[in-house]
Amino acid sequence: MIAMVRMRLGGFVRTARAVPPLVAGLVALVVLHGGAGAEAAEAYGVSAVVLFPILAWQTKLLLDTEPDTQRRLVAVAAGRRSEFVGGLLAAGVVGVALIPLALAVPWLVGGVTAPVRAGELGVGLAIGLWAHLLALPAAVGLGALASRAAVTSPLYGVVILVCGVVGVFVFGLRDSVVPWLVPPVLAVARASAAGPTGAEIALLTGHALLWSAVAIAGYAGLRRRRA
Amino acid sequence: MVWQSPLVRLDRVWLRYGRRAPWVLRDVDLELGPGRSAVVLGRNGVGKSTLLQLAAGVLTPTRGAVRDRPATVGWVPERFPGDQPHTVRQYLTAMGSIRGISGSALTQTVADWTERLGLAAYLDVRLSALSKGTAQKVGLAQALLRPPDLLILDEPWEGLDGPTRELVPELIREVREAGGAVLVSDHRGETVRLPDAEQWTVADGSVSVVFPTIAGSVAPGGISVVELAVPAFRVAGVVADLRAAGHQVLRVRPPEPTDGAAETTPGPDVGSGEGPAAVAESGAPAAGAPPGAAPTSGAPVAVETPATPAPRAEPVSAAPVARPESAGDRAPGTGGTRPAGTPEAPAASADTAGPAPGGATPAAGVVSAGGATPAAPVGVAGGSPAGSAPLVGSGDRNGTGEAQ
Repeated sequence: MIAMVRMRLGGFVRTARAVPPLVAGLVALVVLHGGAGAEAAEAYGVSAVVLFPILAWQTKLLLDTEPDTQRRLVAVAAGRRSEFVGGLLAAGVVGVALIPLALAVPWLVGGVTAPVRAGELGVGLAIGLWAHLLALPAAVGLGALASRAAVTSPLYGVVILVCGVVGVFVFGLRDSVVPWLVPPVLAVARASAAGPTGAEIALLTGHALLWSAVAIAGYAGLRRRRA
Repeated sequence: MVWQSPLVRLDRVWLRYGRRAPWVLRDVDLELGPGRSAVVLGRNGVGKSTLLQLAAGVLTPTRGAVRDRPATVGWVPERFPGDQPHTVRQYLTAMGSIRGISGSALTQTVADWTERLGLAAYLDVRLSALSKGTAQKVGLAQALLRPPDLLILDEPWEGLDGPTRELVPELIREVREAGGAVLVSDHRGETVRLPDAEQWTVADGSVSVVFPTIAGSVAPGGISVVELAVPAFRVAGVVADLRAAGHQVLRVRPPEPTDGAAETTPGPDVGSGEGPAAVAESGAPAAGAPPGAAPTSGAPVAVETPATPAPRAEPVSAAPVARPESAGDRAPGTGGTRPAGTPEAPAASADTAGPAPGGATPAAGVVSAGGATPAAPVGVAGGSPAGSAPLVGSGDRNGTGEAQ
């Protein structure tokens, strides 16, 4: 499994496909937080929202780096299940690597105010980490659904990616009738700004994980159909 | 006859690529045992690669199942995915790691295979910079890093240079000798190098099977050799068509001069892929073709087919090269589904002519001893009665037309 993840990451880096989402993420964070001066938890909640489409795009790029035939060769060598998990793990690793940047950049560009009370910084960082970690599996699921392994046409892939992101922003609004239809990225941002309760954390975590599981199951199903 | 449990078994497999797409394979029942090899034949687009990918586990049957697939499968795709940013060393090392090889064993394995396949000079070259043939060698290497129990080769000779082409049968033999099974597809006639392989012919969604015979035995009904004269530019197509119809093409001889000279010119075999009408056939003077008749301008092609009772039962001529290198351990079997449109498809086939694995291309001058005509326009030496008709490699060695 480690070898598979390493090979995927090696290809992703060597083809320089890792660069565009990284640059896009940094630019978005700088523009968003430049001199904003918000509290840490609130700033990080918004960072997670901005990073969601970038993480999904990054996942699609990573999964699309490997040619179809190479993906099949790995499946023959290691088993289809291992190959499937390996790709998602690699996407997760790349996504996790972006999180420290997302947590640091707001401080560097004056997007976060200095903590007033002791412990406020720790809480803010914890909430920020939670918000980003919750956005990651959903973004990986969406990116996987849009990847070439799942859809026959590159156009379908782009449509799935764009519709997914727009759906997150539209159906995730406070007054949405079907908020469960999309991962709770906006809901997490709202909860972060207000200071989430334990129940909210549990509910939103469950919602995000369930949505991610459904998306990944869909990805598996589409791959089986394509195979 | 002792049947071993199969290494891979296709159990009533159906496959199509979409809900509304036509069936590529329908109700296919096949199995391949340890130490066996099978050649998948058929026209372009008929489903050869699909069949191989089902066996490899790349594709899932729409209906039915592939059972008993061994743990270690080596698959060489028809086109190696060279569009990757890794160097040969990085790629093979990664694939070796994925296959569970590590440390010095991995380094040694990669070094051994790159050396053997002539890749040592390309270790630090990116895959995307390799030629097609060199990339194909990388594809071969990755499949063999861990000794496979089932080796699946999809057109493995495509783009390979001569020495590596000769190496492929050797690799296949090694896998078989280690108890593995090999499935290989070919549309260029290279599988003449695998004389003791089963022939799986894909046509119209079904697969017909022809088993090799044991050396010295005769397929039920005997074997006849049909000689054809074909314009040189059509040789490849005719060979492919005949194979797709379940016949064994023994050899093809280079075009003959039309000045009546009865000498034959040595040439590469059908599988060499060099030259349009290479090779020699194994037949002797065909029935009805008098010795000394002027050679034709077309390239002679010898086709082996089970004999049908014929009033003029002429023995088949001998081609020293036609002796199979090794014989299968399976008694002559009956064929499977007969391909549509090929009523003459053999129920069982005899040994094929072919070079010894590893190499030697048979000389073409084996035919027409005694001044026999290299080929009649269409000559049939047929009707050898079962048990007396020689297989290719025995029979008329002096051009008299008498069986030995």
